[in-house]
Amino acid sequence: MMRGLYFILALLLIAIVIVLGLQVGSFESDLSTIAEAFLNYNPDNTTHYAIVHLRLPRLLLALVVGAALAFCGYLMQAMVNNGLADPYLLGTASGASLGAVLVFFGFVNISVAGFYMPPVLAMAGAFIVTLVVVILGYRKRQLIPAQLLLAGIAISSLCTAMVGLLTFLSDSEGKLKSVIFWSMGSFERASWTLLPYPAVALIVALILFAFLQKQLNILMLGSERAQALGVQVSHTRWAILITVSIVTGFAVATSGPIGFVGLIVPHVTRGLLGTTGRSNLLFCAFVGGLFMLLCDLLSRIIYPPTGLPIGIITSFFGVPFFVYLLSRKNYKFSS
Amino acid sequence: MKNKTIVYTLYFLSFILGLQTIVGCQQKPEEQKQGITITDDLGRKLHLPEKPKRVFGFTSAMAEMLFAIVDTSNIIARTPDSDYPAAVYTKPIVSNYPIDLEQVLALKPDLIFTSEGMTPLDVAARLEELGIPVYYQKYRTVEDVLKGIEDIGRIMNREQVANHLADSLRKEVQQLEAKYKNRHNPLQVLTITWTDPIYVYGQNTLLTDKLRILGAENAVQETFDQPYPALTREYILKLSPDVLMGGTKEKLEQTFFNQYPELRKIKAYKTNRIYAPTGNLIERPGPRIVESLKELEGFLYP
Repeated sequence: MMRGLYFILALLLIAIVIVLGLQVGSFESDLSTIAEAFLNYNPDNTTHYAIVHLRLPRLLLALVVGAALAFCGYLMQAMVNNGLADPYLLGTASGASLGAVLVFFGFVNISVAGFYMPPVLAMAGAFIVTLVVVILGYRKRQLIPAQLLLAGIAISSLCTAMVGLLTFLSDSEGKLKSVIFWSMGSFERASWTLLPYPAVALIVALILFAFLQKQLNILMLGSERAQALGVQVSHTRWAILITVSIVTGFAVATSGPIGFVGLIVPHVTRGLLGTTGRSNLLFCAFVGGLFMLLCDLLSRIIYPPTGLPIGIITSFFGVPFFVYLLSRKNYKFSS
Repeated sequence: MKNKTIVYTLYFLSFILGLQTIVGCQQKPEEQKQGITITDDLGRKLHLPEKPKRVFGFTSAMAEMLFAIVDTSNIIARTPDSDYPAAVYTKPIVSNYPIDLEQVLALKPDLIFTSEGMTPLDVAARLEELGIPVYYQKYRTVEDVLKGIEDIGRIMNREQVANHLADSLRKEVQQLEAKYKNRHNPLQVLTITWTDPIYVYGQNTLLTDKLRILGAENAVQETFDQPYPALTREYILKLSPDVLMGGTKEKLEQTFFNQYPELRKIKAYKTNRIYAPTGNLIERPGPRIVESLKELEGFLYP
């Protein structure tokens, strides 16, 4: 009963925040303007154009990226059976940052065959680094979570050091601004052409794991118990690994590495629905999306017109709630 | 007896001489203290023992200023990005970011010239601890740059050269100002400095005054905290400037408009009024300011 109520509440709040978010921008627009922009769209009206082509894709990208990061965080925490895990554990964020920074510093052309290269190289960086981390975490035909964790930390540090070195050697203030902006996340690049990549990856992943939620819950009891209960631990881990690297890769490539969402939202989900809920993953994605939408809205209200870098807002507003959640006596990571 | 008198007289004279030397040595710091005290554009008081003879600029624009006013032999270094005038290449390079304190000390400058925002104040404080004063200039208007030229002339004992240069530049600026005064519907000009994120010349930059002189306006009318604020696509769409500066149409088509196709709706794109100002001219406040104004004039009124 409560579960259904939480779902309805999350969806309702998402709808409300989207409607509020559609009203925030440089063009003045109230509810009637927004309704007119959708029901009677005039491409020559710049307010209509801004609402449909700038604000809506931005809000939807925030929703999708928030959902993707929270969903991947939940999967990673289940896979390594540790509440400290997040989607960037495999070095995805630092790999993506390094890829984007290579473009900003001129190692790759900014535009190739009409493609704006920072997201493309970010995606490539994310995949390459994840692959290296997985190879390092793989021993005797098995993924060893502790080894995977350490490899992720080590490779991430290496990528971060390389980004730091390039930043230090930068010869232009503009390049530094790009790196800073990229490293703290933003939805300003959102467009209808960019949105389908993370959205499709997330939807496919959500459908796949709708069938694997049970195995996931058992995996959180520990690999030995999961094996004893008939879960194919190795297969499930591989499924998680591939999914997380693809979905996080797209999220980071489109919006930069936004921290904290993938860490806290899975805990919020378990705090509300329990550790073994049937629809935890879906709910986690909804809450992640809602949280990101709220953070984006706040960032634009606090610091118009660009908004504060989204990673700053997620930490400022996420940490107090996270601390409250951890201080609750009845909250446990796993049953 | 006579010999004794001579010896005593010599003793007395040497005593007087010794005393004179000691007193003379003690008087030296007092003379040093007298020196000259100057106040920079940030209101910082600097004490110099005498008129500076060994100077350099901590920015490429300041190097241009110094080379236009000061005797070349008094300029002892240049920063890595200094590339104008050609004579600048004869000077040794000194790193201004990150600052190489030992290198600066080794050059033994009497004074370093810089401008607001280009050299952090803590770096200036550290240099002053080491006995090297740093003089800041601040420019909001074209007239501030001309006053800056006169200022350097005063400090460097080159008033005649500096005043002559400032006056001739001032005359040209006034002519341009008179030519474009009271224009109806002034052109709205947006100038981008970086494309991802989009950074532009804000209201409180020298460019705003250059555009005013030319009868145009900076399209960014809002005053932000930063001189070069970041803007969103929606903000620029709303501004819809008449003129866009920041690169050639071909270059911006590949980067800026390829990345933000929504901005093809702005007036400047539709009317093909996209220009690439020379970086060194638009960015540097210096003696080439009239050259910069004339380049902008060519873009605004082709």
